Amino acid sequence: MKKFIITTCTSLFLFTSCNKDTTGAEVSLAYQMISEKVWYLDYSQTTSSTGTITKTYLGQSTYFVKFLKNLTTIDSDGLNGSFTVEKSNGILQIHVKAKTVGSTNLEYIYNIETVGANNMILYYLNASSTIKFYYNTIH
Amino acid sequence: MNPLKQFLVFYCLLGALQVQAQQSPILKKQSLKSIDSAVLLNPFRDKVQAFNKSIKKELGKVFIDFKGNDIYLFSGIGLSKQYINTGSYNANFNYDLANNKSAFKPGYFAGFRIDGIYKEKHLYSFGFGLDRITTGNDYASSTSLQPFLGNFSRFKADDQFLNLSIAAHYKKLIPFKPNERSKFYIVAGPAIDTRLSGQSADNLVNNNYHRFLLRAEIGVEYENKSFYTLFMHYKQGVTSFTKSPVSTHLNSIDIGLMIKASDLF
Repeated sequence: MKKFIITTCTSLFLFTSCNKDTTGAEVSLAYQMISEKVWYLDYSQTTSSTGTITKTYLGQSTYFVKFLKNLTTIDSDGLNGSFTVEKSNGILQIHVKAKTVGSTNLEYIYNIETVGANNMILYYLNASSTIKFYYNTIH
Repeated sequence: MNPLKQFLVFYCLLGALQVQAQQSPILKKQSLKSIDSAVLLNPFRDKVQAFNKSIKKELGKVFIDFKGNDIYLFSGIGLSKQYINTGSYNANFNYDLANNKSAFKPGYFAGFRIDGIYKEKHLYSFGFGLDRITTGNDYASSTSLQPFLGNFSRFKADDQFLNLSIAAHYKKLIPFKPNERSKFYIVAGPAIDTRLSGQSADNLVNNNYHRFLLRAEIGVEYENKSFYTLFMHYKQGVTSFTKSPVSTHLNSIDIGLMIKASDLF
């Protein structure tokens, strides 16, 4: 009986203690959600002290960006380079290092407001205004 | 083979074994094979019988007033649903709820149960089982960002779990006897579920799910002349399966069959 109790307790301990919880889970999930997809810009929104201006690109030829599994990115403006997803000061970000068609180095960081299987909202702060980009995988 | 098919095959096997268990050895002439099996070495059967005996012996020592302990094996199908209230939960991820199904979904379970009588008066049972739970998810609230995003949730409930369930029941015989062979019981008691499966990548982000879950169980059982018992139990989540601020109650309806271990081995 003692043997049985010890076996049961040990099995229970092993089952409950061995899990795959990781600290980088958030970054890893964001990678999974954005990669291997083409993201089309549906709306852009500029919010400042004077109000909010929304532009829609639905039904039009629009900007798009592609994030690939091998951590490279390419967009409709011809920017080509690499990207990383990182978390800085509690904010999830996409960090892009790219080259323009004319081989000029360009680096930019967008904050992720929310990301889903088919939609994503990115934003950045510019002086006193916040610029948001609403992306969708279906355009 | 999908989980439902696995369950059906397992259930049919149990059924076949149970039919065998009901056959009277007096009426049927024993075959050479069955005589052989009674005499020849059968290490698995011997181990089960030894385990059975040792459990009974040890239980008898520890639980002095707990008499007549019989070990039963059970298995069945469990229909489950999670009721989710996301509260003020916030995350960088969103999950579309347009195709979410909130119906009870089928899983399956199997295990063993010790039934006995306390102080020759109160019927009880202790059950130990493995539950493969598949759930439908019912979200109490959702968010939207029109016109860009329809109904979505920032929390995505997992819908697959493997739980170790330990339950204690108080059994009461119902004074309803349609014939001599039948007995009906009502059972009630607590059940503690331990989540053995990991969380999905979506929930690892904030480690949303608890390891343990307390549920209250109530049900009816139909015993057919000690040959087998059919049961239907309803399990209501008492504690939340997820950490605050998300509140998730996992409820299940378990329908199954139970057979005395000594009839099988």
